[in-house]
Amino acid sequence: MKLPDGNGHFGEYGGRYISETLMPAVIELEKFYKKIRNDREFIKDFKYYLKNYVGRPSPLYFAKRLSEVYDAGIFLKREDLNHTGAHKINNTIGQALLAVKMGKKRIIAETGAGQHGVATATVCALFGLDCEVFMGKKDIERQKQNVFRMELLGAKVNSVEAGSQTLKDAMNEAIRDWITNIHTTYYMIGTVAGPHPYPLMVRDFQSVIGKEVLKQLEKLPDILIACVGGGSNAIGLFYPFLKYNDVKMYAVEAGGYGIETGMHAASISGGKPGVLHGNKTYLLQDEFGRIKDAHSIAAGLDYPGVGPEHSYFADKKRIIIGSVTDEEAVKAFQKLCRLEGIIPALESSHAIAYLEKIKKEIKGKTVVINLSGRGDKDMHTISEYLSKS
Amino acid sequence: MPEYNKIDTVFNKLKSENRKAFIPFISIGDPALETSFEIAKTLVENGADIIELGFPFSDPMADGKVIQRSYERALKNKISMEDAFAFIKRLKAFRDIPVVLFTYYNPVFILGEKFAKDAKEADVQGVLIVDLPPEESAEFTKYIRDKNIYQIYLLAPTTAPDRMRYVLSYAKGFVYYVSVTGVTGARKNLPETIKSRVEEIKRISSIPVGVGFGISSRDQARDIAKHSDAIIIGSKIIQFIEDDIEDKRRILKKIAEFSSDIRSALNDTASSGL
Repeated sequence: MKLPDGNGHFGEYGGRYISETLMPAVIELEKFYKKIRNDREFIKDFKYYLKNYVGRPSPLYFAKRLSEVYDAGIFLKREDLNHTGAHKINNTIGQALLAVKMGKKRIIAETGAGQHGVATATVCALFGLDCEVFMGKKDIERQKQNVFRMELLGAKVNSVEAGSQTLKDAMNEAIRDWITNIHTTYYMIGTVAGPHPYPLMVRDFQSVIGKEVLKQLEKLPDILIACVGGGSNAIGLFYPFLKYNDVKMYAVEAGGYGIETGMHAASISGGKPGVLHGNKTYLLQDEFGRIKDAHSIAAGLDYPGVGPEHSYFADKKRIIIGSVTDEEAVKAFQKLCRLEGIIPALESSHAIAYLEKIKKEIKGKTVVINLSGRGDKDMHTISEYLSKS
Repeated sequence: MPEYNKIDTVFNKLKSENRKAFIPFISIGDPALETSFEIAKTLVENGADIIELGFPFSDPMADGKVIQRSYERALKNKISMEDAFAFIKRLKAFRDIPVVLFTYYNPVFILGEKFAKDAKEADVQGVLIVDLPPEESAEFTKYIRDKNIYQIYLLAPTTAPDRMRYVLSYAKGFVYYVSVTGVTGARKNLPETIKSRVEEIKRISSIPVGVGFGISSRDQARDIAKHSDAIIIGSKIIQFIEDDIEDKRRILKKIAEFSSDIRSALNDTASSGL
């Protein structure tokens, strides 16, 4: 079965749950993208920028000392070495090329940690597009450096003070702007969520990660691990491997203070299916169907939902969903710094931390972890966390 | 006796009287459950033909600041769907007015069939779910189909004629034409295109057309009602709540005055044809 289906459904998940004002625009986007998706010129341009601007392919690095600790062959897919410091740029290059072809001059985006915001601001500078980024007030405070980066790149950063003042509220506000400025504006969603065709498009652009691993490793890995917030880096790594049934996939959600405390961002482990931001998927919600605030030390995972394709494959048990707490993620962060000389993003540290949970299983196995971003942006958060504990 | 939907009854009656419908919107539980009930009664007593009641949602993506804040105040009062249905039952006991429950899909989705059963029991006539377009509505409409509850659909300035025909093929009761490309909220100036768009809808379907989003004055209401069958006003009414949040009597007085004023503006619109 081909996923998503013609209406953007992954089984019961996905779809297009949006107000009528947006429907025509999203249908137009889907038609346009379908035409361009296999267009040789478009693919050539995309590959050109990934190679010459982003610096792809990103290395698949054999983490020798980490491998010794776990008695396994552990490879890190170095998305942290991409221009702008995370996997997010793969998607924004693709969507910016699309927006330019559609004749849109104004780009809006939501951001949590600021990585997608920076990646969006970057491509807008590159292609000469106006850029406005919506960011929760709370995230602006904890990711000041990324706010400054976006401004340097010429973007306007709008502080969102509604609700929990984090990623979900930034997305609400971006959607409101989109409804208002639909004729001129392209909405650049940063993850594999939102109304169809976004989950499909973002997966297409991010699956360069897994395709490169297939080539670089020269054999099939036993296990893949990636952190999952919305899930774009995870689907990017997993997607090209889905057809290989022997490859086991772990998607690691943000456990925050622990799933049992209710203070987490683990939508699949600790939530249930619902509808938000244009798609049906697992969500953190209360008994009345209101969306709950998520919590994670990693701003990029601090979202009460997840991409619909993850929900689908989680139900099918094709992707195994795990979680690690803030504390476990910070420990893994420190471990990677000292063992490999790599400072990972707090988001990616969740994937590293999962090694500890499956350490018996990985003995002697080949494991690929998506190191989705670098940790420079997290210095402030980490130093504060460590000084408290 | 065959079942009929009271929304149809209201529109048929108004049509025969050459009058247009006034459909006010408020959130259940804003600023408090009891006060919002008194506001609903005030609207009913002062000319509302159908009432649209908002069930507060945490992430109202299609709403502007005024309704966002209204939902936030109502959410603090922890209004459940049971509270909402109890509210509607009380209102129905006061006056038998058609009720359209307005919300986003998630609070409805998680209740599933129970939502439809309870809505029927509370005598709800219509459900407007902002983020549930006809493409996705089958899983919900299967629950309301045999209950004589209508899903109210939206048309927007961005909806092209082909799509209009598609949406209208699902529409029952009335269709809600969103007057502006934007979120809810009172506006001084409304687009000139409303008239031609409403006429376009009327060429395709005979279903009554309600126009909402942005309408805030008697003149706007009267002007638009020359073409439409109903006027929907939300943010402007909720603004009265915000302006005098501590003074319930003043809120009720101002809403009563505003409501009567709109009602009277809609009584003589049909004369445009003469």
